Amino acid sequence: MVPAAIPITLVVNGRQHALDVRPHHTLLEALRDQMGLTGTKECCSEGECGACTVLLDGRAVTSCLVLAVEAAGAEVVTIEGLAAGGRLDRLQQSFIDAGAVQCGFCIPGMIMAAKYLLMTNPHPSVDEIQNGLAGNLCRCGGYSRIIGAVASAARSER
Amino acid sequence: MQTTWIGRSMARVGGVDRVTGAQLYVADIHVDNVLHVKLVHLNCARARIAGIDTADAARVEGVRCIMTAADLPQPVPRYGPVHRDRPVLAVGETKFFGEPVAAVAAETEDAAASAAALITVDHEELPAVLSVDAALDPAAPLVQDPSLRANDPLAQTNILHEWQFGWGAPGDARADCIVENDYSFPMVTHFAIEPHGFLAAPDPEGVTIWSPIQHPYVLQRVVASALDWPVSRVRVIAPDPGGGFGGKGWPKFEPLMAFLALRTGRPVRLVLTLEETFQQVRRTSARAHVRTGFDLSGRIVFQDIHADFLIGAYADIGGRVVSKAGYAACGPYRTPHARIIARAVLSHTTPSTAFRGFGTPQASWAVESQLNAAAMRLGIDPVEIRLRNIPAKGEAFIPGDTPADGEWDSALRLAAREIGWHEPMPKLRGRGISLGLKSSATASASFALVRLHYDGSASVLSGTSDMGQGARTVLKQIAAQELGIPPERIAVVMGDTSVVPFDSSTSASRSTVFMGNAIVKACRDIKDTLKRMAAETFAVGEDAVTAGNGYIRVGGRELTYEQLLKSHFGPPRGEVIGIGQERNAFVTDHPLGGKPAFWELMCAAAEVEVDPDTGMVQLTRLALVSDVGKALNPQQVEAQDEGAAVMGLGHTFMEQLLLDEHGRIRNLGALDYRIPTIQDVPSSLHSVLIENADGPGPYGAKGAGEGGTLAIAAAVGAAVNQAAGVEIRDLPLTPERVWRAIHIRT
Amino acid sequence: MRPFCYARPNDLSEALSLLVEHGPDARVLAGGTDVLVRLRLGHMKPRIVVDVKHIGELRADIVETEGCLRIGARAVMTDIIADHRIRRRFPALVEAAAVVGSVQIRNRATLAGNISNASPAADTAPVLLAYGATVNVIASSGPRLVPVHEFFIGPGRTVLGPGELVESIDLPIASYKTGAAFGRVTRRRGVDLATINVCCLVTESRRVRFAFGAVGPRPFVVEDDLSAVALAEGDIGALTGGSSRASQEAALDRVLAQSTPISDVRASRDYRVAMLSVMSRRALDAATDRLRLAGT
Repeated sequence: MVPAAIPITLVVNGRQHALDVRPHHTLLEALRDQMGLTGTKECCSEGECGACTVLLDGRAVTSCLVLAVEAAGAEVVTIEGLAAGGRLDRLQQSFIDAGAVQCGFCIPGMIMAAKYLLMTNPHPSVDEIQNGLAGNLCRCGGYSRIIGAVASAARSER
Repeated sequence: MQTTWIGRSMARVGGVDRVTGAQLYVADIHVDNVLHVKLVHLNCARARIAGIDTADAARVEGVRCIMTAADLPQPVPRYGPVHRDRPVLAVGETKFFGEPVAAVAAETEDAAASAAALITVDHEELPAVLSVDAALDPAAPLVQDPSLRANDPLAQTNILHEWQFGWGAPGDARADCIVENDYSFPMVTHFAIEPHGFLAAPDPEGVTIWSPIQHPYVLQRVVASALDWPVSRVRVIAPDPGGGFGGKGWPKFEPLMAFLALRTGRPVRLVLTLEETFQQVRRTSARAHVRTGFDLSGRIVFQDIHADFLIGAYADIGGRVVSKAGYAACGPYRTPHARIIARAVLSHTTPSTAFRGFGTPQASWAVESQLNAAAMRLGIDPVEIRLRNIPAKGEAFIPGDTPADGEWDSALRLAAREIGWHEPMPKLRGRGISLGLKSSATASASFALVRLHYDGSASVLSGTSDMGQGARTVLKQIAAQELGIPPERIAVVMGDTSVVPFDSSTSASRSTVFMGNAIVKACRDIKDTLKRMAAETFAVGEDAVTAGNGYIRVGGRELTYEQLLKSHFGPPRGEVIGIGQERNAFVTDHPLGGKPAFWELMCAAAEVEVDPDTGMVQLTRLALVSDVGKALNPQQVEAQDEGAAVMGLGHTFMEQLLLDEHGRIRNLGALDYRIPTIQDVPSSLHSVLIENADGPGPYGAKGAGEGGTLAIAAAVGAAVNQAAGVEIRDLPLTPERVWRAIHIRT
Repeated sequence: MRPFCYARPNDLSEALSLLVEHGPDARVLAGGTDVLVRLRLGHMKPRIVVDVKHIGELRADIVETEGCLRIGARAVMTDIIADHRIRRRFPALVEAAAVVGSVQIRNRATLAGNISNASPAADTAPVLLAYGATVNVIASSGPRLVPVHEFFIGPGRTVLGPGELVESIDLPIASYKTGAAFGRVTRRRGVDLATINVCCLVTESRRVRFAFGAVGPRPFVVEDDLSAVALAEGDIGALTGGSSRASQEAALDRVLAQSTPISDVRASRDYRVAMLSVMSRRALDAATDRLRLAGT
């Protein structure tokens, strides 16, 4: 017998959504498959690669390790929620400028993790940037441009 | 005043989409009425299939199709880019851990997963061949049925093929110093952050396949051949891959997906988990016995290389990996006498495929380490010993083949300078240097179409795949330069075989050269047409017309392309289509089918600090120098080099697939298969480009992007040697391996 | 993942009765960073998952009470690391919690969940042992105190029975000076599971305590039921200084002889044995340094 779907409401990128979710589906699956927000990516599905990073009630989490139903009543911000009014967030722009984007698959998760880092530590050292992004894997680039992009975004916020 | 678009670090095309989440990778593509596919495989590498019970699975609500080998045309179609050896679904016996035995298509992913879990496969595990030694044992089971290898004298062995290369008289050559060692290179997997995914749907002409395939035209012919159809009935749509590195080059489950789509009459979707992806692609592992002779001044007298590459259960492109790597195994050095024996050895493991470097990282690890060993033994500086052996530009180092096409000695000097080679060395630190040389594309072909639109904007149609290296951007820059059109008025169309013309592949660092030249020629074709149009419109001879980049000069007047097009076509409008092709012809008697169009050379210099108590190695400095001819987009080239280097750090320090006695991958998935993270990179990573405009590509460009993976390991190995006094010849240099070398000396 | 039912009780009695009712078919869900991985791999096949994050009586904060710092069941690693009282009094816990996964993991993973999961390589476990923590277990029959060295039984197994939850973890605030340090060996600098981990605590009365993780089929290395190594007087003196390096090494070897490391996909036994010695020495030195600085 398949357990019934549970109706939940949650706020995603500032908008209220009402969804019926199966208990065993993750927030990542709900975002991508039910809400059509495919900007958040699926890779390892076990919290090791960071590609699925979103903000959940203001904290960066790997959405593959959160059940959709756990997010009932919560506020979620995904990569689609960063660019306000069509203007890129400072982080998004600096990632482009620094040449930190190659295939791009890790980038949404990387930017969300960086966003959280700058929210909690507006002027991070290189060490702190590395620690803040330690949970986000990139296979194309050498990470140094990502570090540069975050540092540049931090500087420009001053 | 002409703006130049070449040599500018123009912002990446597609960058905005990638930072906003708008970029559509294959798993993001929505197709209506789709069925979800789940594959079934066994919990071991090799097993005889006695029976497959799908009754319970078929009763799961939402299941629409269950396919096993018995449901396919008989005999079960086999496919492969070179050898058509791989069955669409396992027939009679599974040959590697992860080979699918059945496929389920259902209305939801949950239903497909439930049904897949209910399929029982009555099977008997059989002994699996998992190493070179096991494969070469005369009593070993044969991985491939000899009937698949008709007329192959090696069909009764697990050797797919043996290549012998060489020149001179290595057996007679006398050397003052002989260095002889065994080296090994582990099994590693690509671990692109995007797992593999595929869609297929029947369409009025035949079938459409969506796959982030690096080589859409290869996929088209392989699927067509599996279906026994003409290629015209197969359309391949290739979304930009989320990382390829060769792992998305050659067909995997697309033929199966085509059969499922045609059987169900509906679109079908399969997105692999990361674990399933690991089971499908890996690099060829290798071991090499190398005997190198030097004279007292460190000059190479001979190279005698025996390399066995362990490929997987199906050939995929594994044979080519071995032949290309073997052929150039001596590296960028004068080698008066050489004998190279390279074998591709089959095993009951994941089919090895192309992986950045294409066999050369494995060969370089051995050959460059030999040079470092000789340097130590002869008391010669490792930079110096290489300088003494490097061929001059224009000098052939493989007899009869493409000569050295760069000032390679400058790469060594630059890298040495960047790393501070002669600076005093702090305690527990060491430095190492290494070169890496890869042959680029040999026989291949790229066709490009450029359409100059009525309003003076343009579209470039190209079969290259943009998997992060920035192909879209570079090709746009070339067209912008040639036609004098700003990049924002140029569209680049890729990834659809029904739209873009033929391209061999996006591999071998060939696209900037081959597709780039094809685009230059297409633009030239457009200019020739514009000249004819101007001559016709203004009633002058063609020799009175000059076609420049963005303008036409005729009879003392200068017109923009748009003005000429308006004059020529009038209100009904029209367009100018340019076609260009760049081909290297196939040469039947060349071991690789043709000479490399250019050589890709890279130098890596590394400085490490070793903690002898734990074996942990910290990379303190890394310098990379690449000879690229001309960096059309410097930022993209540097980013590629850095990425290749960090990828190389993976197999250098931490990556290895571990198999158990059943042939199962023990470290399957991100938890226990470790790749470099942001905390594993050196604090100082400098990438330097040599640009002498001496390449065969547009504006003197060569290719780039693989070099970083070639030279890192040997440079680091040498650095660890200097820091800790240990010579390690097996990768990866895990803390435990380094510790063991330091503390357990025989 | 295989389907399961989900419950989100608002109070402890509802939660505990759900757990009693479903017994082994129920699984507690706190941060989810271990549980969801196991669910996905099919290592756990519950019929119902009980989310404890909305239980009013379970606190998410850290409270100073009854001579200890009480870490609530819902407190996550990020908050533990940031708490200035933890940082001052229990720096080894900060060291350990800071390497549990990544920032994203630490924003969700609870300390209570970490110990309930009882992974042999859990980084926080040796530290809790070294500090002599106590686990406040709550059941429908009422609360009970379990010293942390009795809490772990084996890999993935604790004393928690059906219908029992960790309510909080108490870190005793010592009346005497201590110094403690955590160390571990991993395969790469980046986020990783420990090959071995160790926590060493020294007190101003020259008592030394070592606790180890990831070195044996049981999560904690010591024999019998003791999870803290109480040392002979001679050994204590040897370890805390005033004796030769050689006798220090010999004393350390006697401590380490009680460990039973294995070979697995992460490391071989030899290496673990050797690293135990190296990291124990380093942890002892660091703990001794901290003791010297304590109260200054």
